This record gives sequence, C-alpha cells and structure tokens, in this order.
Amino acid sequence: MTFRSLIAAGLAAATLTGAASPAFAEEITLTLWSRADRSGPLRAGNIVEAAKTLNQMLAASGSDKSVKVELIETNAKGFDADALDVLKAHSVGDTPDIIVAAHEWIGSFVKAGLAANLEEHIAANPSLYDDIIPALWNAVSYKGARYGVPQDGEVRMFFLNNDMLRKAGKSEEFIASLPAKVNAGEFTMADMCTLAAEVKDAGASELGLVHRPNVGPDFQMAMAAFGIDMYNDEEARLQVSKSGLEKYYGWLKTCVDQGAIPADMTSYSWDSVHAAFRGEKAMAKFHGIWNLGAQLEAFGIDPLDKDAYFKKITWINAPAGEKGGTPKNLSHPIVYVVGDTPNKDLAAMLVALASQHVPNTRHAVTTNHTPINYGQMAMPAFQKEGWGLVAGVPLLEYAEFMPNHPRVGQYNAITFQGVQAVETGEMTVDEAVEMVLEELETELGEDVIILD
Amino acid sequence: MPSSASARQASNALIFLGPAILLLFALLVVPIVVDLVVAFTDMAQTVTIGEFTTRQFDKLVRPSKDAWFGFELRGSFYRALSLTAIYVFCTLTIFNITFGLILALTTTALSDRLGAFFRAVWLLPRMSPSVVYGLLWIWVVDPTERGLLNQVLINVFGMEPINMMLDHPMVLIVMANGFIGASIGMLILTSAIRSIPKHLFHAARADGAGPMAITWHIVLPALRWPLSYITVFQTLSLLVSFEYIFLIMGASRSTMTMAMLAYTKTLAPDIGSGQYAYGAAITLILIVIGMATAMFMWRMSNMKALLAKPKIEVQ
Repeated sequence: MTFRSLIAAGLAAATLTGAASPAFAEEITLTLWSRADRSGPLRAGNIVEAAKTLNQMLAASGSDKSVKVELIETNAKGFDADALDVLKAHSVGDTPDIIVAAHEWIGSFVKAGLAANLEEHIAANPSLYDDIIPALWNAVSYKGARYGVPQDGEVRMFFLNNDMLRKAGKSEEFIASLPAKVNAGEFTMADMCTLAAEVKDAGASELGLVHRPNVGPDFQMAMAAFGIDMYNDEEARLQVSKSGLEKYYGWLKTCVDQGAIPADMTSYSWDSVHAAFRGEKAMAKFHGIWNLGAQLEAFGIDPLDKDAYFKKITWINAPAGEKGGTPKNLSHPIVYVVGDTPNKDLAAMLVALASQHVPNTRHAVTTNHTPINYGQMAMPAFQKEGWGLVAGVPLLEYAEFMPNHPRVGQYNAITFQGVQAVETGEMTVDEAVEMVLEELETELGEDVIILD
Repeated sequence: MPSSASARQASNALIFLGPAILLLFALLVVPIVVDLVVAFTDMAQTVTIGEFTTRQFDKLVRPSKDAWFGFELRGSFYRALSLTAIYVFCTLTIFNITFGLILALTTTALSDRLGAFFRAVWLLPRMSPSVVYGLLWIWVVDPTERGLLNQVLINVFGMEPINMMLDHPMVLIVMANGFIGASIGMLILTSAIRSIPKHLFHAARADGAGPMAITWHIVLPALRWPLSYITVFQTLSLLVSFEYIFLIMGASRSTMTMAMLAYTKTLAPDIGSGQYAYGAAITLILIVIGMATAMFMWRMSNMKALLAKPKIEVQ
C-alpha cells in the first residue's frame, strides 16, 4: 500500500465515521401546528418547553434519542379557519403530530382520521392527568372516547361599566346586587337591554350593549338562555327549537329597537367592538374573561388591584331568557389534539408534560384563562396575579360547552345569519326564524333535529 | 422538402401556441373540470369524497308544484342571484361604461397634459393594493362622524350622518367597484378616440360642427367596438368579483352575491366555510351563467365581425 492510498483510506474512514456517528443519536422531529395567537403564545411555547424536559429525561436514562419540536405557526384569522387548514394539510398527508385547536373541531378531526384516541395514554398515566378538572374532559370527548387534552378553560360574561351605571343614576346597592339577581333569574336578558338603553338614553354612554361582530361561541350562551339546547346527546345530533329561536331573535329585535344594540353591530370590526367598551363608549360588552388584561391596561388600573377593577366593572352570566329561569355561561376550551401519526405516543407524552401545573399556570395567568388542574388555584402565581380567574370560577357553575359535532361551525354560521338579518332590519323575527330553519334543514339535513 | 416544411410549421405552431394553450388548459380547463367533479360530490371540511351525489344542487332549488319547471329557487340562492344581477348591471352601466366614456371624452377634450393628469388620478384606485383601497372605503363610509363622507355631510351640508354599510350597502359596493372599473373603460376608450384620424375633426370643424355634433357623429361611432368589448369583458369579470365586497362589507347578508356566496361557503375565514362541494355547485352555476351571458352578448354585439379577418390587407 502506497503512502497516498494510506492517506485516502484514512480519509475515507474518517468521513465514514463522521457521517455515521449522528445516526446513533437519533433525533425525532415532531411537528406542532398552532396559529399565532396573541391570546395564548404559550400554548405552543409549553410544548417546546416540554420537549426540553423530555430530552433531559431521555439523556438521564442514557438514551441516544432526542426530540425536536418543529413549530408550524399559521396566521389563520381564527380557530375555525385554522382547523380547516389543518384538515387540508391532513388530506394531503401532512398530518401534524400535535395540534392546538378549538375543542368543537374534534368531531371533524376524528371523522377525518386525524386525531388519535388518547384513552389508553390517559389511563396509563394517571399521575400526569388525575388532577384535571373532570368537566373539561367533556370538551375533548367524541362518541365516548377522549381525543385530546384540555389546554385551558375560560368563562364568558357580560361586562358592565359601573361608572356609567352610576352616572345614569343607579345606586351602589343596585350595581352590587346585579350578579345575584342574574343568578336568581330575577334579572333577565330583556332587563339587560332595557338597562343598556336606559343608560344610553340618560346620556351616560354612547352605545348600549356590544357583542361579537362575527360567528362565534358567545351566541350559544344567549341561545341557551332562551331554552335552545343545541345538542341531543343520545342521538349525537345538533338540535334547535323554533320557539327558542323566536324568543332569541325577538330579544335581539327588541334590543335593537330600544337602541341598546347597534343595528350594524355585525358589520363592526373586532377592533371597534373592543374599542367601544375599552374606550368607554359602550356600557356593556358580551365576551370572555381573557379581556381582563386589555381592560386593566385601557382603564389604567394596576394589574394587581382587584378592588379597583371591580369598582369599575361588574361581571354577570348571560341572564335567563325569562323570569325565574337559569342564567347561562359557556366555556370554550382550547385543546391539544395528538395526530394519528407514527409519533403519537411521543407526542402524547409532550402534551402530558405541557399540561402540568407549572407550565399551564404560566399560560393561564399571563393570558387570563382558567386553569385545567384543580391544584393550580393554590399556586402563588394564581393567588397573586390570577385574582380575576379565581373570581371567574363561580360563573363556571352555569357553564356549558359547544357540542363536539363536525357540523357545529355550519350551525353557528346559519343561526348567525338570523342575528344579522334581524339586527339590520332586513327581516322580521318570523321571517328570520323561517329562513334559519330552512337553511339548517337543507344544509345540515340529517345532522339537525328541528323541534317546535 | 414538403415534409420538413410541414414539420417546421408544426414546431412553429407548438412554440408559438404551446405556452398559451398550456396556460389556458391549466388555468381554465382544469379548474372547470375539477369544479364540475367536486360539485357532484359530498366534499366538506375533511376534504374527502365519500360519494357522488346531486345533493348540493338540492340546497339551491326545491321542488314546487306551482313553479314552471317543477322546482323553485331557495331563498338564499334567489337572493344571491338578484343581488348579482343588480350589482353587475349597475356597476357596468353607471360606471364601467357611462362614467368610463365620460372620462374618456372629457380628458381627451382637455389639453394633453391636463388630460393625462386626470387620467392618472382616476387610475390611482386601480394601482393601489386592494386591501388599502378597501380600507380607504371603510374609512370613507364609517358610520360615525369620523368617516370622510359624514364629515362632508355634517360640515358642508349640515346633514345628519348616514350609515352606508347598513342602509345602502349595494350602492356602496357598486361605487367601490365602479371607481375602479371606470378606469379600464377610460383607458380603452381614450386610446380609441386618439386613433380617430385628426383630419375628420378638422373637416367637421370647418363644416361648422360644434363639440356635441363632433362627439355624436364622429367619436361615438368610432367607439362601438371598444364599447362592446368593455361590456362583454366587464360583465364577465363583475360576475365573479367578490374581492372588494368582502374587504368592505365582510360576509354580510346584504351584499351576498353569487361569487360571495361561493366564497363564504368554501374558503372565507370564520363563517361556516369548508363546504367545498356546495361552493363548487354554486360556482358551476356561475360558470354556466357566465357562458350564457358571454354567448348572448357575443351575438347581440356582433363581436364576430370585429374579430373577422380584415377584408383588405394593409401593407
């Protein structure tokens, strides 16, 4: 062997070992699908953190494997648009390993073969999951099995501006008694609009009550208050009642006629809805607890000053539709869904780690979402900064969830058509009810039960 | 050799026509075929085809004994058709043709520099990005006293503020689309007016014709073909346009034209979209309407004569 061939052989061997060595330390890449969302950057961040924890564990066990999370951050406008995008990705074989989604899409995900059944995983890891608030599991169940892990909870409410109520001549006793009156069924949805109109007419506010401008979960609370039960559990079908719709749209019509709700509410942008309440133009806003942070900032209140906040703002459930009825609330959890991919066991472990008390509290407290584990409420961070969330928990007594039915998005879009038609004055209440029922029947067919 | 000549002819045809045919095929024929197939399936959010069915069309029409063909249009579909007709007709006649013509006539009557300035101003909406243009309109018609229109109404005319989006939504979208559409008509008609031989104007003036007579007897007859072209082309483009409607009005019921309906049922964000087969069925009907309209207009405007080979050859 010549000197030159010796060098060549040496080089070849060095190259081979160099190339081969990474193969021993296997890096598994998991894809995480999450929309860029100001209301929860740590939904994805906690999974990335969990991968670090898992890698420490793997290294400690002497394993050569490591996990890398590849974040697919989308800029979809909302969770519905994002869910449609992930379904499209799945249909061409790009199924993500973990998905951050709005819970009501689980039905569609299961139907598309996208979501992995997590029953075995949850049963096998009781010490990681047993503290999760049981009601939240309903949000991830589809046909009796769990296909996700709740990521956060929330509570929705009518926010009322006390300063405007005072300016309109309402007494402190009246303001303080409102939440209890709502819960007792004495203060109804109709009273809410009358109050908003009264405050507006007294010149204490420019607008009465503002609600979301587009299709979304808030309306379910209002519908429920008028006795519409959206889901038939036994038959696993959506449902609607004609009389309920008549009352619901009738209420909206009265509110618009009174001047409590602006007739063009559904053509507002989200920014103008927020600005109406935070800019102290509207007396009341119908939305959710995660608004707290932005409200504190807008009203110039110290984030730790609970008393100053509640001196200015009152929270109430959606009042009952009729006197003596029960108020309603809605919790709309965001969930982690594990894709049915070869990496699903590993992905599920990351979800389990991200759902523990410390990381979840970091998300919940910074973005004003309610906790998923009972134990989180005892944590110092919650006690100190999470006062708003602790205050929101009693409202959860009346909370319902959106049905996990694949076509609930369509159902919401059609009932929203009625809201728009009535508010803008395009249709009378009866015409709107007829239109909505016809659309529900033709578009959803067998998937919807129409009651009288 | 004849064989090599014909081979060359074939290769020339391939080189010259190939890219155009390929583009036409990929961008026109393929989408229509895909749309045709999807319209007869049950494709929805999960993007899978479970069965082939005519169910999507049942959502648009319902059987009725009294109706002519044994079925009648459902409310939302009937509404979308009527709104489309109003939108296309008004935008086309008021802005794209009439206003485009007025702009062309007036700007060519001005001095070259001033004419070019006004034409440039009218081209601005077309040159600005759609989202910016949409936002400007939203600001103009803002229902509060912040909106430009209301500022003018309140401060100049002492009127009450109006809410265009709520009370006159169709007027709003016709204007927003018309201000853009008028510029195309203006450009085409201006160049047509410019191409009229100058001596015709001189002769007419020498004969004592006034500006109205010149316009009527010399300019307008020369604009027949460009006007026919604008009418056919703009009708077809307005039928399927929804961009500015969506940017300004969102998924509002009051401006839900056919193209908007198809968009909201399929790809628009957060309004119950994802019903791909349903959207495809609506689009298919829109394609049929577009084809029928094009053929009817082709016939009415005698466009064939325009595209026929010239009878004399100019060397």
